[in-house]
Amino acid sequence: MEIFVLAFFALGYLVLAGADIGVGMTLPYLGRTAAERREVIAAIAPFFLGNEVWLVTAAGVLAGLFPELEGELLSGNYTLVVALVLSWVVRDMGLWLRGRVERAGWQALCDGATVAGSWGLALTWGLLLSHVLLGLTGPVTVLPALVVAALFGTHGLAFAALRLRGGLRERAGVLSGGAGEARTYALTAAALLAVGVLAGLRLPLHPGTSGPVLVPVVLALVPFLVAAQGWVWWTFRHRVTGPSYL
Amino acid sequence: METVDLARLQFALTAGAHFLFVALTLGLATLVALLQTRATLTRSPVHLRMTRFWGQLYLINYAMGIVTGLVMEFQLGLAWSGLTEYAGNVFGSALAVETLVAFFVESTFLGLWIFGWNRLNRWAHLALIWVVTLTAYASAFWIMVANGFLQHPAGHVPDGAALRLADLGAMAGNPAAQLAFWHVMGGAMLTGGFFMAGVSAYHLRRRTPEQDFFRKSLRLGLGLALPAAMFTVTFGGLQFQTMQPSKVAVWSGRTELMAEAQTAMTALHGPGDWLPPVAGVRVAGVLMMVLWVVMIMVAGTGVPLMAFRPVVRAFRPWHWLLTLMIPVPFVTMLAGWVFREMGRQPWAVYGLLTTAEAMSPVTPAQIRVSLAAFVTVFAVLVAVNYWLLARHARRGPGAVALGGTPVEAAPAAPVPAF
Repeated sequence: MEIFVLAFFALGYLVLAGADIGVGMTLPYLGRTAAERREVIAAIAPFFLGNEVWLVTAAGVLAGLFPELEGELLSGNYTLVVALVLSWVVRDMGLWLRGRVERAGWQALCDGATVAGSWGLALTWGLLLSHVLLGLTGPVTVLPALVVAALFGTHGLAFAALRLRGGLRERAGVLSGGAGEARTYALTAAALLAVGVLAGLRLPLHPGTSGPVLVPVVLALVPFLVAAQGWVWWTFRHRVTGPSYL
Repeated sequence: METVDLARLQFALTAGAHFLFVALTLGLATLVALLQTRATLTRSPVHLRMTRFWGQLYLINYAMGIVTGLVMEFQLGLAWSGLTEYAGNVFGSALAVETLVAFFVESTFLGLWIFGWNRLNRWAHLALIWVVTLTAYASAFWIMVANGFLQHPAGHVPDGAALRLADLGAMAGNPAAQLAFWHVMGGAMLTGGFFMAGVSAYHLRRRTPEQDFFRKSLRLGLGLALPAAMFTVTFGGLQFQTMQPSKVAVWSGRTELMAEAQTAMTALHGPGDWLPPVAGVRVAGVLMMVLWVVMIMVAGTGVPLMAFRPVVRAFRPWHWLLTLMIPVPFVTMLAGWVFREMGRQPWAVYGLLTTAEAMSPVTPAQIRVSLAAFVTVFAVLVAVNYWLLARHARRGPGAVALGGTPVEAAPAAPVPAF
């Protein structure tokens, strides 16, 4: 049961936050002007906080249910995890602070932070997964990492095509072709799930001893957590028509 | 410095930065929730504007709290895998409950609150800020449960080479967690209250056009700060009963007590230096108490003064004083935290696992690089946060983006995206 709890939050993160990481990666391509970039960011703005918290929770679940694995996984990949966390911080600051100062230079700096942080996240995830999944070391890990990053990017484009209108939607839909953005999103989501499940299968998932106390608490909460996020998705189900608070 | 000292420094800087941001976040969230309640009940325009203005400052600060919190969460597994392996089944459970019960809900609903202005029913929108505020308290509670366990282990049983969670209730009911939680909550309200009063005093002193707005804000801020100061000191005092003997000995400064504590620890754990750093603990403790006295004097004289409208409007030296008080609660919070955490040394889990044993097997080079990277990022974050808060506070309620007329206007026939 512990494994399903961890998988639920980790896979939820990959699919949900994967999309807004991908949008961040493709921001220079999607948004050619500052105004366009702000509209592209509005596509993920109401979601990204609720998306990234899936990883915070996955890390919390790892700490509570798999403490030994948590230590091994994080300290064993020390430099990569530090790079991942730093990319996450840089990206979040870019997103959060962009709209707080009305200066072109500031907004360009924040956009740069969002793009760099998103690429940093995608690539460090790619390196971590190719490490864990394929057991690779050395320069060859770059190849699977690039594949994973491309997957995040495609997933982001599909999500952007679902959320945007007009010219921006067309630009985002470039890879969808005649298939439609919903189908592309489903495909990239499935691919991310597959990567996540395969990585999970390679991990030594031996739960700690707090499962009997903790798992019932988690299972009782999950419906509320999902309903809360459902409310967000329902409230912001319409296509973006202009800039938002961020 | 040894690797373990570098790792300690890295965690101290992370937790210290996070703690600074979170203290203000908790206090401001409470004030914003109170303001929005008033605005929703009475439809008073000034209270609505107050909600938006203080809400924007709250959000700027919240963002910093989140990112430093992320770093902190990952640091436990990164640099302290000895701790997670030994005690993770117990204190990791508190972290798991924190992320699930509190932080997940807080973040989800905060997104709705920020982007749902003018979009959601006003009662639903009010409910959101209360959910956000109460889950922020819950977050603080479970973090203090985790910290309380490290200070004074409870609810666990030994299980081979590690600990096992035996009683979640005993861990959550641990006095070292409960009393500290209320103490920290009081400190957070003190921080938020003085922040609001100080920013308001700045505007009153500058005679900006928003007199009514900032007179009301000043009264609310000081009105929260005074009871919060009393509340904080009460739970601070109570904590001395649950304090570790070695910390008590070092705090008292009496050599015979220190020798006694050292002998008792040596008898239990063998030879070693079992006392926390004397100077650090004492300086931090004294600083915390002295600054508390300063705050209680300013809040205590301020509350009667604020009953007189001409004084609130025109007593400039008082305005100066209140603005200068803004950093004081932050310094006090940090001093209190150093007193609590440094006083626990050399233990990671008091009496069970030393800090040196708690460390991950990482190389000095790894720690040096990550420490340099985190220090740089935190310095930038603190500077940017201070600059943005000051800038938005100075500009006043006229320039607030949060909750303005919807920039993302709903089209006549909305197109569902999914």
